[in-house]
Amino acid sequence: MPILQVKQLEKKFGTLEVLQGIDFSLDQGESLAIIGSSGSGKTTLLRCLNFLERPDGGTITVNGQLIFDASDPSTQHESDIRKKRLHFGLVFQNFNLFPQYTALQNVVLAPKLIARERSDFGANKKDILSEIEEKGRAILEQVGLSDKLNAYPHMLSGGQQQRVAIARALAMEPDILCFDEPTSALDPELTGEVLKVIRSLASRNTTMVIVTHEMDFARSVADRVIFMDEGAIVEQGHPEEVFGNPQKERTRQFLLRYSESS
Amino acid sequence: MTLQLPVIIERLSDSFLLNGKLFALTLIFSLPLGLVVAFGSMSRFRLISVPVRAFVWIIRGTPLMLQLIIIFLGPGLMNLPFYWPAGSNGRFVAATVAFIINYACYFSEIFRGGIQSIPSGQYEAGAVLGMTKAQIFFKVTLLQVIKRIMPPTGNEIITLVKDTSLARIISVKEIIMMAGEYTNRGLIWPLFATGIYFLVFVGILTLLLGYIERKLEYFKA
Repeated sequence: MPILQVKQLEKKFGTLEVLQGIDFSLDQGESLAIIGSSGSGKTTLLRCLNFLERPDGGTITVNGQLIFDASDPSTQHESDIRKKRLHFGLVFQNFNLFPQYTALQNVVLAPKLIARERSDFGANKKDILSEIEEKGRAILEQVGLSDKLNAYPHMLSGGQQQRVAIARALAMEPDILCFDEPTSALDPELTGEVLKVIRSLASRNTTMVIVTHEMDFARSVADRVIFMDEGAIVEQGHPEEVFGNPQKERTRQFLLRYSESS
Repeated sequence: MTLQLPVIIERLSDSFLLNGKLFALTLIFSLPLGLVVAFGSMSRFRLISVPVRAFVWIIRGTPLMLQLIIIFLGPGLMNLPFYWPAGSNGRFVAATVAFIINYACYFSEIFRGGIQSIPSGQYEAGAVLGMTKAQIFFKVTLLQVIKRIMPPTGNEIITLVKDTSLARIISVKEIIMMAGEYTNRGLIWPLFATGIYFLVFVGILTLLLGYIERKLEYFKA
C-alpha cells in the first residue's frame, strides 16, 4: 500500500486552473522529485498537500486513510486539518525561521506545544520537555549544526538557516517531508550543503517530495521524477527514464532548455 | 491665594500627578483595547470590520478636545439615562474615558500595521508545524509585531503625556490649568515651570522606551 495517494487533485485560482487533476502515489521510503518550469503548479501541489491551499477537487490518502476529499465537507473541518497537516512536513524556499528564537528553539517550539496535548503531560512535564530538547539537539547535529544551537537566524548563512528549517520539519516526525525549491533562495556556493543534507535523508529512506530546479540533484537522489507542465503531470518515471529517455516532446524541450542554461 | 514659591511648586506638583494618573490609566486600558479594535478592523466579517473602521475614522478624524466635551456633557445634554459622578471626580472619569477611546483607536492602527507587516511565511511555517492560530499569534508573531511597532507606539505614548493637558477643557485641574491661575495673578514663571515637568517626564519615558527597543535588538525581524 502506498503511503501517499493523490487522486484527481484540482486547484483553481479564480478562473486559472493551476492543478488539473493530479494523480500520483508515493511508497514508504521513496523520494519523489517534481520538476517543471515556473508556474507549472509544482509549488501549489505541495501547498495543497500541506493544506496551505484548499484543493477544489480530488482526494488525498495517507497510509490508507482518506484525509481529504473535496466532495466531502466532513473531511475538511478546520480543527482536523491541523492534525492532518502533521502527516506532512514542509521546508520553504525562504526558510521562514522564527527570527526571535535560536536554532534549537526553532526546532523544539512546535514539538513542545504539541506535547502539551498529551494526557500524561502534567505528570511528566519535565521529562517530556527535556526529551524533546535532547531530540532537537540530535537532529541539529544530524544536519551538521551542533555548534549553532544557540545562534539566532540572522546570525546564520542562508544554507545554515535552511538546514535549521529542515531540522525543524524533521522534529515533527512527518510521514512525508516536502521541500519547496529548498535551494532557490541560496547563493550557488551554499546550495551544496543543503543538498547534502537532503541526500543523507534520502539514504536513510525518508519519504520525501522535492520540488526542485536542480536537475542533476533530482536525477541522482530521486527514486522517481514527475515532470509537470501547465498544472498537469506530463511524464513520470525513474529518473534515468525521464532524464535519459523522455517520451514526451514537452519534457524534451524543458530538459533541453535546462542543459543549455547550465 | 498665596504666591510663595514652595506653595506654588507643591500645587503644580499635585496637579501634575493628575496628568500622570490620566496618562497611566489611559495607557493601561487603551493598549489592550487597541488590540481588540485592531482585530475588529481586520475581521473577515464586514459586519464587524466596517463599523469598527468607521468608528476609528471618526475618532481619529475629530479633535480630542471635541471628544472630551461631548463625552463629558453629552449624557446630560442628550438626556441619556447615565451620568458622570458629580464634581471633579466625574470630570476626571469622563476625561479618562475619552482619552482611552481616542488612544485605543490610534494604537489600533499602529497594531494593525504591525500585524499586517509580518510576512505570511511566518504564519504558514507555524501552520505546517501544527500550531493553532492562537499559538501562532502568541508564540510566533506577537514579539515580532511588538518589535516593529515600538517606535511608533513610543511616539504615541510621548504625545499622550502632553495631550493630558487637554483635560482642562472640561475643568480637570491639571498642571497647565493650575499654572494659568497664577498667570491671571501676574506670575509667568509657573507656566514655564510646567514645561520642565513635561520635559522631565518625557525624558524618563524616552530612556525607558529606548531600553525596551534595545532589549528587542537581539533578533532581526
